[in-house]
Amino acid sequence: MAGGPGAYVCPYCRSSVAGGSRSCPACGAPVDVSLKVTESGWIELPAARDMARIQCGRSSVQIEGTMVPVADFALAQGDGVYFPHHELLWKEPGVTVTQRGMKGAWKRIMAGLPVHMLDAAGPGRIAFSRDAAGETLAIPLHPGVSVDVREHIFMVATQAVTFDWFESGVWFTTREGDDTETHYPVGVFMDRFAAPAQPGLLLIHAHGNAFVRQLAPGERLLAKASAFLYKESTVSMHMHVEHPRPSSSSIWTWGERYLWLVLRGPGRVAIQSAFGHTHDPGGRITGGVTEHRW
Amino acid sequence: MDAYQRIVCKWCNGQNTNPTQCAFCGAPLDAQNVVSESGWREAPRLRDMTQIRFDNSTCQVEGEIVPVVECSLAPNEWVYFEHHCMLWKADHVPLTVMNLQGPKRSFFRMPHIVTIASGPGRIAFSRDATGEVVVLPLHPGMEMDVREHAFLLASGRVSYSYVRIKGLANILHGGSGMWLDRFVTSQAPGLLVLHGYGNVFERMLAPGESIQVEPGSMLYKDASVSLAAEAIKLSTGIFGGTSMYLARLTGPGRVGIQSMYHHHESGE
Repeated sequence: MAGGPGAYVCPYCRSSVAGGSRSCPACGAPVDVSLKVTESGWIELPAARDMARIQCGRSSVQIEGTMVPVADFALAQGDGVYFPHHELLWKEPGVTVTQRGMKGAWKRIMAGLPVHMLDAAGPGRIAFSRDAAGETLAIPLHPGVSVDVREHIFMVATQAVTFDWFESGVWFTTREGDDTETHYPVGVFMDRFAAPAQPGLLLIHAHGNAFVRQLAPGERLLAKASAFLYKESTVSMHMHVEHPRPSSSSIWTWGERYLWLVLRGPGRVAIQSAFGHTHDPGGRITGGVTEHRW
Repeated sequence: MDAYQRIVCKWCNGQNTNPTQCAFCGAPLDAQNVVSESGWREAPRLRDMTQIRFDNSTCQVEGEIVPVVECSLAPNEWVYFEHHCMLWKADHVPLTVMNLQGPKRSFFRMPHIVTIASGPGRIAFSRDATGEVVVLPLHPGMEMDVREHAFLLASGRVSYSYVRIKGLANILHGGSGMWLDRFVTSQAPGLLVLHGYGNVFERMLAPGESIQVEPGSMLYKDASVSLAAEAIKLSTGIFGGTSMYLARLTGPGRVGIQSMYHHHESGE
């Protein structure tokens, strides 16, 4: 692979691939466009070119469309994918779909997470899409690497990818009167994907555009919690509150505060440009955060 | 231009003398037909300000994210549409309503009024969602079924009715059934303009060939394509499991799907 004529390392998925194609065969990113890096260090992930083809073992997936892309899998005999049931767009009648056993299903129901994880087995074709405008991100997973993905953005993964879920540990509490409430800005749980034995492919959906960057060991970054997409498992997270310096001329600026998600390296993190409002529930914050007063 | 010099549009089969754009559906003729390996063809990406002719009138497709279809109606020509798709109109363009089975449609939460705008004058339409405008010129003798609420407008020569597919949506959402608008041409050609959420794809099913789709993604089909609900049993180990429902479309004929599937409240 790498080292042959035209071989290169894809700057987006960091896979070593042979040259000759207009798209990275591992993640679908166009390779004949210039790398867009912001002055602050974010790499803009280029949308997969319409009809870009990604190879995953003997199977392949084609990314179709640009506004609300479709991931169209051609599954080889013996290959398979798994997905939350609501991601399915169409399938050939010959592709069998079965329920995947989920540990802690009751907990997932209580947390509002998808409980119907389905397996689809080849040979045949099956396609997926998320009913929202944005980008489909293909993340090739290599042995030894695991990524933690925000809940509800997972689309589909190949069978070589293991799936687990865990408590996000990102929370804070507020108190009003005698009532204490706990809040989870990136969700109670997160999904963890890894490919321990052999390479696999993970597809997620980003609302709007997606950006990635590499954090050095100990490097901190503050992001809107609702913009967070995924991180490598080596990156730690917690909530942080900033209190801007109030204006002496207006009492309305007293008590102003901003909620941030702190991402601490080392590792790769990704955010999306279309994100919902991170709700500040009000009340006195009593735990789970670090604070800074300007 | 001689017949052998004409360019046949791969989307609508119209014969054109203009080498860059189809006069009947607006598809770019100098762009490659985009077909996936699985056989789905992307609806042609209409260029901004594409102009399409029907009868003596024209319509222009403006914008690309939430496109607007602006009609310039000739005298004695008319189009009909669901009133909530109307974006703006010239002051003097008269509006009337089509005679439908209003109470029955209202009962099933379908729009019970289909509005008619008559020329001369200009009127424009858009659906308030990200998506694509799909222009389907209907040749004489065609029957096309379209998911409810998906049509933006149809020209006056296209007759309109509706059919109810029982079973599919009753099971899905406890609703009244899935409604399809049926558009038919008899002796003369007509124009049908749809809005698809997200991207739109089309494929031709051979006789007996079938495909299973998410019911909310079905956008349109030839009347010759049959549509039926199919349940896939899912066992969760909790409360004995549940079922997932897919729509099976069986050829012959063409089917169109949208990638941002949509469930209306009208009982699908």
